[in-house]
Amino acid sequence: MLRKRIIFTLVYADDFFTQSRNFRLQKVGNINWLEKNYKFQGIAFSLDELIVLNASKEKKDISGFANTLSRLVDDVFIPVAAGGGIRSIEDAKVLFDNGADKIVLNSVLHTDINLVQELIFKYGSQSIVASVDYKKVEDNLNVYIHNGTKKLDVELYDYVKYIENLNVGEIYLNSIDQDGTGFGYDLETVNKISTTSNIPIIIAGGAGNEKHLLSGLKIDSISAVATANLFNFIGDGLPNARKIILEKGLNIARWIK
Amino acid sequence: MKIVIVDYEMGNIKSITSALKYLGVKEIVVSNKLLEIQSADKLILPGVGSFAKAMKNIKKLNLDKILKDVVILNKKPILGICLGMQLMSNYSEEGFSNGLGFINANVTKFNILDLKIPHVGFNQVLFNKNNTLYEGLNNLSDFYFTHSYQMQSSQDIGQAICEYGNKFIVSYELNNIVGVQFHPELSQTNGLKLLENFIKNF
Repeated sequence: MLRKRIIFTLVYADDFFTQSRNFRLQKVGNINWLEKNYKFQGIAFSLDELIVLNASKEKKDISGFANTLSRLVDDVFIPVAAGGGIRSIEDAKVLFDNGADKIVLNSVLHTDINLVQELIFKYGSQSIVASVDYKKVEDNLNVYIHNGTKKLDVELYDYVKYIENLNVGEIYLNSIDQDGTGFGYDLETVNKISTTSNIPIIIAGGAGNEKHLLSGLKIDSISAVATANLFNFIGDGLPNARKIILEKGLNIARWIK
Repeated sequence: MKIVIVDYEMGNIKSITSALKYLGVKEIVVSNKLLEIQSADKLILPGVGSFAKAMKNIKKLNLDKILKDVVILNKKPILGICLGMQLMSNYSEEGFSNGLGFINANVTKFNILDLKIPHVGFNQVLFNKNNTLYEGLNNLSDFYFTHSYQMQSSQDIGQAICEYGNKFIVSYELNNIVGVQFHPELSQTNGLKLLENFIKNF
């Protein structure tokens, strides 16, 4: 049976890992801090996948980001997706060469379809995760690009359909309203989107504890749940969450000791 | 132990290289050169991307002939991973292309209404006890998949299977020729054990 996935997302900006809240970034610590507090070679056994996003606001320094990525994924044998600021084939190649198994695209899905098509041709659909940031304004679900700073004139449902037609591998659906709050996922929206979508959906934004992860994992049409909460899962947070979720009998992978 | 990862200019090999290093393989070379490939104890055929483009690159680099020599004539052990596994079959619907033809199987598109494609995530593999590739692993162990095309065969190719929409072949082992649809290098301890078995048993 195909398992559901638990994904940890790390948000990187200018040499630091950050806690994002509604897309405002708070610096938490650099790679040394992360290695001390998360010990990825061990923690990775509580995860199905890792996503590392470069949210540097100024110049997106791909090589600095790639160095950090490379160090992070040493001896980590789960899929790693990386992205943020990919603007060319070369940018993507640098990330693949430094340990990314998949790449995450966001703004270029709207601004540079040719690049998206080239990347799909070169690396295959299954290597491309399309990240979509959205915010609720009254009854509308608005889509944003460029780290949540630019609103597009398109409704979320239409945008998701448009992205599916680009033939990407997965969609990473992130609620800007819920992001970093620890209040739980925007289940109403993800439910609607995922039941009509014909590609796998990863949900993000709002998970602050294992109950939130569980709430997402219980939705049939959702393939994976992500959390980017650096504070709430520190130390043994992730191993404990996985243990509880396994004990509840949820459909997630098991590995030999 | 010298393992050559066959380079046909597609796909990323960092995860495979680091898994082999972790398992203590002394010499890991990424190459498409005849002499390197001939001197290997074992070969790995990796790959992500499209089948037709991969076959084009393989022919351009003369790897179809080189691999036929060392794998079919000289019986050097080879492990195909993901697209690499599919490439050793006869034919794929992806780009309507012939493969290397080492294994009597074809690759078809998942064709079931409302099934989310690609098939991505950990899924359980059903094998039988003759499959030495899975030695020391429990049946229905989890491995990480990400693909949109699947392998089918009516022959006995030492297959293990998995179910997503329908049943399909996720690994084969036929003498020195081994292939896995999933990514052992991304499948935690289960995957490391499987790679170890390939190194030890083939």
